[in-house]
Amino acid sequence: MGRSKGDLVVFIGKRLLQLIPVLLGVVLITFIFTHLAVPNPCAAWAGPKATPSVIKGCEQFYGLNKPLPVQFEDYIVGLVTGNWGIDPLTHTAVLPSILAAFPATLELVLAALFLMVVVGIPLGVVAAASSGRVADHLVRIFYLSGWSTPTYIAGAVLFIWASKEFGLSGGAFSTITSPVPTITHMSVVDAILAGSPSATADALEHLVLPATALAFINMGVATRMTRTSMLETLPLEFVKTARMKGLTEFWVLYKHALRNALITTTTVLGLTTGAMISGTVVIESIFTWPGVGLYAYDAITSYDFNGTIGVVIFFAVVVVVANLIADVLYGLLDPRVEWR
Amino acid sequence: MEYRVGAGTFRALNDVSFELPTHRVVGIVGETGCGKSTLGHAIPRLLPQPPAIVRSGKVVFRGVDLLRLPKWQMPSIRGTGIGMIFQEPINSLNPAFRVGDQVAEAVHIRRMRERGLDPTFRRDVQGTDYSRREMPRAGDVVSAPFVPPALVDRAKARSPPVSKELHEEVLSFLRLVRINDPERIVSLFPHELSGGMRQRIMIAMALSGKPGLLIADEPTSALDVTIQAQVLTLMKELMEEVQTSILFISHDLGVIAEMADEVGVMYAGHLIEFGPVAEIFESPRHPYTKALLRSIPNRYKSEGPLPSLAGSVPNLSRMPAGCAFHPRCPIARDVCRHDPEPPFVAAPAGPDGAVHRSACYFPEEVASLP
Ligand SMILES: Nc1ncnc2c1ncn2[C@@H]1O[C@H](COP(=O)(O)OP(=O)(O)OP(=O)(O)O)[C@@H](O)[C@H]1O
Ligand code: SF4
Ligand SMILES: [Mg+2]
Repeated sequence: MGRSKGDLVVFIGKRLLQLIPVLLGVVLITFIFTHLAVPNPCAAWAGPKATPSVIKGCEQFYGLNKPLPVQFEDYIVGLVTGNWGIDPLTHTAVLPSILAAFPATLELVLAALFLMVVVGIPLGVVAAASSGRVADHLVRIFYLSGWSTPTYIAGAVLFIWASKEFGLSGGAFSTITSPVPTITHMSVVDAILAGSPSATADALEHLVLPATALAFINMGVATRMTRTSMLETLPLEFVKTARMKGLTEFWVLYKHALRNALITTTTVLGLTTGAMISGTVVIESIFTWPGVGLYAYDAITSYDFNGTIGVVIFFAVVVVVANLIADVLYGLLDPRVEWR
Repeated sequence: MEYRVGAGTFRALNDVSFELPTHRVVGIVGETGCGKSTLGHAIPRLLPQPPAIVRSGKVVFRGVDLLRLPKWQMPSIRGTGIGMIFQEPINSLNPAFRVGDQVAEAVHIRRMRERGLDPTFRRDVQGTDYSRREMPRAGDVVSAPFVPPALVDRAKARSPPVSKELHEEVLSFLRLVRINDPERIVSLFPHELSGGMRQRIMIAMALSGKPGLLIADEPTSALDVTIQAQVLTLMKELMEEVQTSILFISHDLGVIAEMADEVGVMYAGHLIEFGPVAEIFESPRHPYTKALLRSIPNRYKSEGPLPSLAGSVPNLSRMPAGCAFHPRCPIARDVCRHDPEPPFVAAPAGPDGAVHRSACYFPEEVASLP
């Protein structure tokens, strides 16, 4: 094992293979739970006045009359061939809907991540450099307040305050004045691609609130990890070496110490990103952000078992892939790591 | 200089006063925990504060009292003014950067300062009397012996891009510390190098700032015995080639004997004797130095308590009254057991009349000790 490109490819390949049993487990558990929770969704969909024959037809259409093992087998076959089932209410296919919604979620999470990196990491450095003094305490109060605020409260408060104060609106496309062609399904990127400054400003305006809320809640991850690993790094001898070169304290902190502290911070941020993507259900429904979280919310509240299982599987994949990316980043940042 | 530990503080450096003449090597010797590293770190103000507190004192470097400088001006002193080599080569290089880049950074800082291109470098920090005393500009102190003239000429003739020039200079510094294949070594990470190689890189890095003062804090203690000898030989050779003042710290009087022109002996945070190396060895003026001298034969084992001395180093937070050494001193009298401490004064002049100071009431009696 070493650090060559080949080693990295083998490493990633192995990790992707390990994904298969994990996903099978996730599918099995979600499948069983959704079917136990709502044994006969047809009755719920069709409404109280539906005739038995209508319900029967529905059951036949969705294969709900077959034994559970057979349903599971059918589902697995569909999963592998890309047919993740159909949403009974909108009659749209699950996988394409999720894939179409995902870029919006990714955009939201990446925007939040960006804020966490540019605000949270420097705050962590400041806190560590002034450890035990006023600045350190202020930073800790800031991120702890974000951490201990429930998502829905942070989101709702920000939403109400900002709409009053600035007239900003949360809903993604609620007031979009100049629609632009959908290419990437990311509102800001699409607006930039369309070359329209007004649309870009508009899209950014919509992104800012949910991204800020998401970033505020998760800021603690970036700041605390940076602070902790900076505190571990600063007493190390090489920091003194950096000082003795004649570097100013800024470069000692932000180049030599932070470069090492970032190894752990980046890993934790990678893991958090997976959790944030799968945790956008609340924030997306508050801000009606048209991402996977909103899709999940709709699927669950409408007994759409195909949609629900599909979203859960999708989130599982996202979390595993985010972990894989975190591991790869860790190895890339730390030259002592060998791929294995 | 005190350390605050828990509720109390203890004095880790007390009344340590000596001069380091230009282009001379001063050795500092003492048992483990006596405050050698604390002294070495106090000079370029590297002590972590807290827990360290500097109560009083002066560190005068090129006419400037470093302890009175605002903290943000200290970087102007470091690198090109004072360089340092640390005790643990395992940790003293940044694990995340290639060693070539780490040396290059030090070279780059010095080059920028030489050209007046470093906006954070305060030349005025070194005082206006800089020119008056005809001292070289920071960085020029040892420039002549450093870069082989042929290299400089070729670099000037072709006028290559700065980075190329920088790279060449990095290679030349690695060659200076006897690294045979610097082209390969520069692209390695610290963890891919042995302890001895890392310490060579550290030495190259410290020298590449062309400092006026180099502090070497036990540069070989953490290495294997054979590697120790190699690095010491290298440093000895470099002392001839590189004209810089050196503060050489070691717990090993044998090493000091080889390296230093003058020796300071430390005991429990005090400087108890200071003088030319021959003087100290031939006619020590303090019983502790005498005891140290007797332990030289087992030089690579002197980490523990000295075999020839009963008792152990006093706890710095509970120092005895009077002379700190009196509980272990074979010639202690009543006057030694009460405050004040014996003054650090010039002992009666030795055979060649060199200044030789010690903190003992009875320096003449040391000679008659076994
Ligand atoms: N950061 C610190 N906080 C508290 N006490 C310290 C600190 N650093 C050193 N000390 C104490 O100060 C005293 C002097 O330590 P110092 O490291 O200077 O000794 P030394 O002579 O360099 O020893 P060694 O030969 O082991 O390197 C010791 O008693 C040590 O325990
Ligand atoms: S002053 Fe007294 S106790 Fe101290 S070293 Fe001299 S003789 Fe010994
Ligand atoms: Mg030490």
